[in-house]
This record gives sequence, C-alpha cells and structure tokens, in this order.
Amino acid sequence: MAADRQAGSTTAELEAIGERLRAGDGLASGDAAVLAATPDLVALGALADERRRAVRGDRVTFVRVLEVEAAAAGAGPDGVPPRAGEVRIVGRPANIAAAVAAARRLREAAGRTPVTGFALDDLVDVCGADASAVREALAGLREAGLERVAEARVDGVADPAWIELAAAEGLPVTRLTVASADADALETAGTVAAWGAAAASVRVFAPLPTNAGPRPSTGYDDLRRVALARLVVDNIDSIQVDWRLYGPKLAQVALTFGADDVDAVSPIDTLEHGWRRAPLEEIARNVSAAARVPIERNGRFETGTARP
Amino acid sequence: MGCGLDEIATRLRGGERLRAGEALDLYRAAPTLELGRLADAARAAKHPERIVTYIIDRNVNYTNVCVARCNFCAFYRPVGAGDGYVLGFDEIFAKIDETLEVGGVQLLLQGGHNPDLPLGWYEDLFRAVKERYPTFRLHALSPPEVIHLSRLSQLPVPAVVERLVAAGLDSIPGGGAEILVDRVRRLLNCHGKATAEEWLDVMRTAHRAGLRTTATMMYGTVERPEERIEHLLRLRDLQDETGGFTAFIAWSYQPPNTELGGIEATGVEYLRTLALARLVLDNFDNLQASWVTQGGRVGQLSLAFGANDMGSVMIEENVVRAAGAAYCMDEVEIVRNIENAGFVPKRRNMHYELLGDPIFRERAVPRMLELAVARAGEVGAPPPEVARYPARSRAEKARRAAR
Ligand code: SF4
Repeated sequence: MAADRQAGSTTAELEAIGERLRAGDGLASGDAAVLAATPDLVALGALADERRRAVRGDRVTFVRVLEVEAAAAGAGPDGVPPRAGEVRIVGRPANIAAAVAAARRLREAAGRTPVTGFALDDLVDVCGADASAVREALAGLREAGLERVAEARVDGVADPAWIELAAAEGLPVTRLTVASADADALETAGTVAAWGAAAASVRVFAPLPTNAGPRPSTGYDDLRRVALARLVVDNIDSIQVDWRLYGPKLAQVALTFGADDVDAVSPIDTLEHGWRRAPLEEIARNVSAAARVPIERNGRFETGTARP
Repeated sequence: MGCGLDEIATRLRGGERLRAGEALDLYRAAPTLELGRLADAARAAKHPERIVTYIIDRNVNYTNVCVARCNFCAFYRPVGAGDGYVLGFDEIFAKIDETLEVGGVQLLLQGGHNPDLPLGWYEDLFRAVKERYPTFRLHALSPPEVIHLSRLSQLPVPAVVERLVAAGLDSIPGGGAEILVDRVRRLLNCHGKATAEEWLDVMRTAHRAGLRTTATMMYGTVERPEERIEHLLRLRDLQDETGGFTAFIAWSYQPPNTELGGIEATGVEYLRTLALARLVLDNFDNLQASWVTQGGRVGQLSLAFGANDMGSVMIEENVVRAAGAAYCMDEVEIVRNIENAGFVPKRRNMHYELLGDPIFRERAVPRMLELAVARAGEVGAPPPEVARYPARSRAEKARRAAR
C-alpha cells in the first residue's frame, strides 16, 4: 500500500512538471531528478509523448542504412542497394589515410546515396586530439565525398567544441550516441542539454546504448532513457531508436515514449518471409500501429512522402 | 483523450464496468499511454502492495502428435509423422526432478490430441506422478484436450474431469481458447477441437468440480477488434458465474512455420490488448505478462500496462519455440526484471498463494540460460508404456503389427 501511495505522490509531482512544460517554462532545477526517479513509467512516458507531439508532431522518420566496416570499405561493396538512404562507414579507422580511402571508395560505389561515417571521438583520438590534425582529417574526408560524420559518442567526446569544429569544417555530426550500457541516463541527457548551441548542428540524439552490457537492458530502463532524453534535451529535436539493435518491438513502443526517428532499418528488400515482412513494410506497419505517420528520410534528412 | 474517451475513463475510475462499445472505443482510439495509465490504476487498485508474482514450473508437452490440425499451430505433427513423439513416464519424472532442483512446484502439462493416448494413459501418468511426488502439482490438459478425451473415451466431460481429478489433476490451464468466437474458430480450423461454448463449458464444469483454472487469448490472427472484446466479455461472464479463473494470459499469434502464415501483431498492439483486458476483466485478479512471445523487454513493460504476474520461470517451452520465438528467463532474470520495474517479487503457486521470496536468495540453484526442449536428440519409437494401451490410429496399429 505504502509503495503505491509513494508512486501516487510522485505522479502528482510529474503532473506539476507537465504543467510547467505546457506553459513553456522548461524544466525547473530538480525536475530532471524527479523525472529520473519516478517509478511511474507510463506517466513519465506520457509527458515525453506530449513533448514529442509539440516538437515533432506525429511524423516518425526512418532511414535505411547500409553499414560498411571501415576496415572492409576499401574492398567493397561494389554496389549499394538502391533502397539505401545512407551508406555509413562504421568502426574505428586505423589512420586518417585509411578513413579517407574508405570514404572515397564508398562515394564512388554509392551513386547519389549520401555517405556518412565514423565517430567523431574516434577521429579526434586517431588525430591525437590535435585540432589542426582533426581539421585536416575532416577536410580530407569531405573532399573524398563524406557528407556527415555519422556520430559522436556523448560518453566519448570530452569537449563539445569538437562538434562545433566538425560543423565549421563542413562535416556536421548526424547523431549523438551513447556507447556504454553503464552510462547514467540522466547524466547523459543532461550533458547533451548542457552542450546547448554547441550541438546545434547535430540532427538526432540516440539515448540507448550501442554497446550491450553484461546483462541485457530492461524495457523499463530503455524507455526511461528515451523519455528522459525527450524531456531533458531541448537543443536537439529528434530522439532516435535503433531498429536493428533494439528490435521492432522495443523500438516501436519507444515511439510512444518520446522517440520520433528510427535508425538502421535494413536497405535490403528480402522477400524471404513474404512482402509483408519486408523491411519497408515492417517499419511502416509498426510506425502506423503506434499511431504515427511513417516518413522515410535519407542520410541528408531529405524526406519522401508519408506512407499510408 | 477525446470527449467520449474521457467519459469512459471517468466511469472506469468510478469503478463502473466497461461495456462492449466502450471497450471498442478505448481500444480503437485511446492513446496507448492513456490505456496504460487506466490499466495501471486498475492493477494498483487490485494489488496496491506492489507485489508481482511468478511461478517456477515446467511447461511439458507430452506429445506433439495431434489430429486437430489448427492452422495457426507450428508445434503439432500428424499421426504417423517421423518426428512425432510421446514422452515416456521416466522422461517426465526426470523433468520433474530437474524442476524440483530449481525450486519448481508444478508441471504445466499439455500436448496434442494423440488418438493413441487414451484416458487411461493420463490417469496412470497422473497417479504415478502423485505417488512419486505427492506435493507436486499438475496443472494439466486444456479444455480441448479434455474434450478430446471425452470423445475418445465416450464419456461426458464431467466424468472425464472427475476421473482426472481422482488421478491427481490439480488445475486446468486455459489454453486452446484462441478467440472464443466461432466465426474465428472456423477460420482457424479449431472449431472442431472445441467451439467457443464447449471451451467455456469445460471450464464451467471444472470450476463446479472445485478446480481453479486460467484463461487465455491468442490474438492477432483473423479476428476483428470487436471479436477480441467479445472473447473478453465471455470470460468475464463466466467468471461472474463461477469465480473459478485465477488469471488471464494474452499472447500474440506466432506465424512462422504455420499453415496460416501472416505476420505477428506488434509490441504496441500487445500492450494495448493487455491493458484493455485489465480494464474489461474487472473480476480477474491476475493478469500475466507474456514475455515468452514478447521478449524480456516488452514482457517487463507489461507490468506498466496492467499485468501483475510474470508467469512462469520457463525451464522448457516447445510450442512458441516451434514458431520461431525462443526467449529465455530464469528466476534470476525474472526477479531482476520485476525489481527493476519497482515491484516486489514473490513466488506463487497455481492458486496465486504466495510461497515466499526468490528461491535463489535462499539457496544455490543452477542458472538456466537456455530453454530445454521436450526431447533432446532422436525422436525414436514411442515409449514402452504406450503399448499397454490399445492403439487407435491406423499408423500406430501398423507400427505395432510390423514389430
Ligand atoms: S494448437 Fe493444440 S490442438 Fe491445435 S494443432 Fe496444435 S497441438 Fe493440436
């Protein structure tokens, strides 16, 4: 009995926060901690969902990504699936020359499909955190055909000035991601928010860890991360979930807890399990079943028309 | 929520009963999290102590041979199939020993409608189990299996139930309900195994005989939303009449490897269906999370959408696995998920009586990181005791004649 009363009082606090947000006041000091501590996941999600609707409407964008390992990019692929909306070079490059070669090779293979790649913190690290070396690397990558840096890990970028530098060099970062499963949800979202205008060039924040911990994350933890990201981060409009890493079920539910963008949908239209389970149909069906409007985008954030 | 939905929500909060049209409006139009909020409030009203229960048992499928041929089923094999099996009594005893080792208290025993296993086989099995393991519970034989035995033995259902209870049956699982609407059952080719009324009647008989049972719903095949609601209302009516249901479990149809095919309903649809069930079934105390079909993450989220029970620590599972899903959670994982969601985990028995705190905190139990299967390795010939009973199928008669 006591525990549910406690949950009830926390819900009342959430309602007060909701009132403030609706009035356009933003979060007061201490609000984020209340949000992070509430056991009332659905009430937290409802606040995040309200915010999502205010910021993004009912549109859910998704992107079909062909990922190519940096180490393998020099040798392939020969063709890029015509449905890919983004070709992304993943993994840490051995050195900047290898990164540039990979970008050049994929630029040729990708035709008009945008090519993105690498984590900014890896590039900074490979350059020994030397600003002029990083500038030179970014210029080389841009000249090779890279259009955006694919990600910057919030728990890997020591200083948001690197993000500004990348944007200034014409290679803005697409996504802020979180690598470690141990990263605290509130701390990470707080860091992103604190970066303020330094992260203005970033398009999406993906709060769910990209590296699995020793034990699988729970649904509560995942959705709490998504909802907190939506409520605490006010300098990036889109909150993203990874279709491939987190699976359709969790990713779809996350769309009702504040997320509005889906990454890593397969670009390959396999009909192995019938057309209704082909990736494009599956994502569109899941987004629609979450009462949202699915819109395909590419790595440049150019969108197609809404799917029925 | 819209104006009409607000009125429904207000009526619900005032403790009023949901009507069919209102349930449909909620299902169709209420935002998912609003449905969740209403369901969570209904759960909290019934379980304010924030306890979430689970049971340690083993889901044993004694045979996969089945004459019913439901078109949504990936598990069954026709009579005479090379990979059809019947478990021997010794194999079942070994499974009980393993279940006891991890603190288990019962078998959930279900299987195909095998014409070569007459009522006597079940009676002998139940007696043998009770003789060896007097306190071990048998939660066994869903209504269609009882009907199958009634047909095989040419005895009325009450007589079959009486004999099974005399042999050791403790309770009846709610499987085989699918959707309790005959239009749907005909399309699923499961009308023959049990009509909606027949399914309900077995449960009515069991409740009158003093047995407690569960109720289930398999949604996501060919039914319309209003038929899901009709299913729930029929269960609610019977519960009003008998009070014999302990719990309700909804799971989504698993299409892979089935004749019916199609696609699985989404995670959001599961949570909405579960929440709606909590609201319609106001006379059911317990709703189980179906993490076996939804996976651990959405399974855990069920606790925010009306569920108050994590079901079974799954030691073995064959039916859902046959359709491609093979999620596994042992007691450590179940408890981690319950506590992570802010609830207090308690072990229970089939009657939902609390048995205590997690067993692994009391003594060392082996971790189970993989589901066991009904029978590992070769399928082989039926176990020797099957020969003690008259063969009924042509295939089994021929097999015996050839020996
Ligand atoms: S669902 Fe049960 S009754 Fe139907 S075919 Fe499968 S095993 Fe047989």
